[in-house]
Amino acid sequence: MNDSMLTLDDVHTHIGQHHILQGVSLSVNPGGATILLGRNGAGKSTTLKTIMGLYPASKGSIRFKGEKIHREKTHKIARMGMGFVPEDHAVLFNLTVEENFRLSMVEETETTRQNLEDVLELFPALRKFWKTKAGLLSGGQKQMLAIARVFVCDHSLLLIDEPSKGLAPIVVDQLGEALLRIKDKTKVILVEQNFNLACQVGTDCFILDDGQVVFHGMIDELAKDKPMMKAYLGI
Amino acid sequence: MIMDSGMTDKMAVNDHTLSKENVPALTSLDTFRIGIVILMGLVPFIFPSFRVMDVMAKIMIFTLVVASFDLLLGYTGILSFAHGMFFGIGAYSVALILYHTAAPAWYHIIIAILISLVVSIGLSLVISFFSLRVKAIFFAMLTLALAEFAHILGVQWTSLTGGEDGISFTLPWIFNFNHTFGTVWHTQINGRLVVYFLILFSTLFLFAGLVRFTRSPVGRVLQSIRDNEQRAVALGYQTFRYQIYSIVFGSSVASLGGILFAMWLCYVNPDSVFHTAIMVNILLMVLIGGMGTLYGSVIGAAFLIITENWLPQLLKSAAELVPQSHVIQVLADRWQLYFGILFVLVVLFFPKGVLGTIRAHYRQRVIESESIENQLK
Repeated sequence: MNDSMLTLDDVHTHIGQHHILQGVSLSVNPGGATILLGRNGAGKSTTLKTIMGLYPASKGSIRFKGEKIHREKTHKIARMGMGFVPEDHAVLFNLTVEENFRLSMVEETETTRQNLEDVLELFPALRKFWKTKAGLLSGGQKQMLAIARVFVCDHSLLLIDEPSKGLAPIVVDQLGEALLRIKDKTKVILVEQNFNLACQVGTDCFILDDGQVVFHGMIDELAKDKPMMKAYLGI
Repeated sequence: MIMDSGMTDKMAVNDHTLSKENVPALTSLDTFRIGIVILMGLVPFIFPSFRVMDVMAKIMIFTLVVASFDLLLGYTGILSFAHGMFFGIGAYSVALILYHTAAPAWYHIIIAILISLVVSIGLSLVISFFSLRVKAIFFAMLTLALAEFAHILGVQWTSLTGGEDGISFTLPWIFNFNHTFGTVWHTQINGRLVVYFLILFSTLFLFAGLVRFTRSPVGRVLQSIRDNEQRAVALGYQTFRYQIYSIVFGSSVASLGGILFAMWLCYVNPDSVFHTAIMVNILLMVLIGGMGTLYGSVIGAAFLIITENWLPQLLKSAAELVPQSHVIQVLADRWQLYFGILFVLVVLFFPKGVLGTIRAHYRQRVIESESIENQLK
């Protein structure tokens, strides 16, 4: 338990009058990629946003690298080393690709410079469109930029919300390769509906249902558990 | 640790490490802009009429004020009705000091600038701290109430402001309208012309400052707040702080615009600088020019001021062609009606403002040409 990078203990979240998270408890160790699975409305995105402080937890505690963060402001949580990629192509349309990178970059150091080079190698299209407004990129390129932008910073944990949503299969394959390389350097918590991509990238997984964790285990074990897959993922 | 303002500055310095294509080249757009500035400078010599100079000076002043409002509305997404109040604070700072001083000197203008900046910065900080944390609509209502309060104060505090009658004053030093310095190209160089060029150069300098500000790392953060505040926060920015930067800078520029306005007219009254109609005009100018374009403020200010000044005259001249028709005479008197129609037409044909729509159209063409190129590949 003490080795955990991130721990949620009985976390409840209300959005307006709706009780979305109803006691989520999970623990994530450093390294690899942890997948959050579940049907639509299960509370996966809300879990990420609650961790990030975008929705306040009404009950329970969240610890990141041993420090309580559930009362912290979002910008402080981000500065502690947590990056967040929301599901809606979180790029700034009116800024160029370069400006998008600069906006999210940590102080330019040798590490961030190297990260930038790595990321541009990973997503060569972004180098090509370096001076292009992000709003002019295709859906896939926008999603690549959204992920790449956060990866440039020296984050120790990346929360990525449904990166494959609305992307063409070939782009999803590229995304999978990129995520595999990213998870070698940075711990990733990935919310994903595409089970194939989740299996390709993830090591362990949690299934959420009605705002609670109903399964935790290795993702390859889950793939073999057909009744569980049918019951909670409809696959 | 995510970069903050200090860090962003360092990054700006290190720009060249990421892109080496920073060789400045004069584009046709730059040439056009320079041409406009030169034309503004030549106006007093080409059209030595006060009316033309007056319109041009007001266009320049309102370009500045509208651009500073665009920084708030178009770049940061803050709707503040108190912006006109800061314009009034600047105007009254210089007017009150020069009016209440027995022998005004050049340094009294400097003192007025300092006072207006201190008052504007102080007041904008107070507004920010007390009201930025509330929702956008409540912030707008609060600032509207404050602006109305400033207007009432200007009207009621007659011993200081002269009430509704306002105050007239004379400018000191080379700005005094009675001073003449000779003739150039059949145009008398006098205090008014000096003030005209003061307005031209101040507008240029402050407008360039606004452009630089929006393109700075801080400006990028402001745009990210406008587009999606949650994203900016999630990247590690304390958005509240950046919103304060925007309000303070925008308000300061508006108050400097007020100083120029008062210096040009040598007269202020509450209705000419504090009235809600001024704020509505500023808002209209931003909408006409295009929010978040900054350069659109030139178009917005020019459209509104030229229309206000010359449309009534144009209609009157047209009506004189048919002197026997009472209906035509009555219709010609209602110039606001035609202005309203013009405004509706602008909104219909330029939904994002003139410059905003042109830019969107240009971007669309770029997308289309790129998709054609991709298809050809």
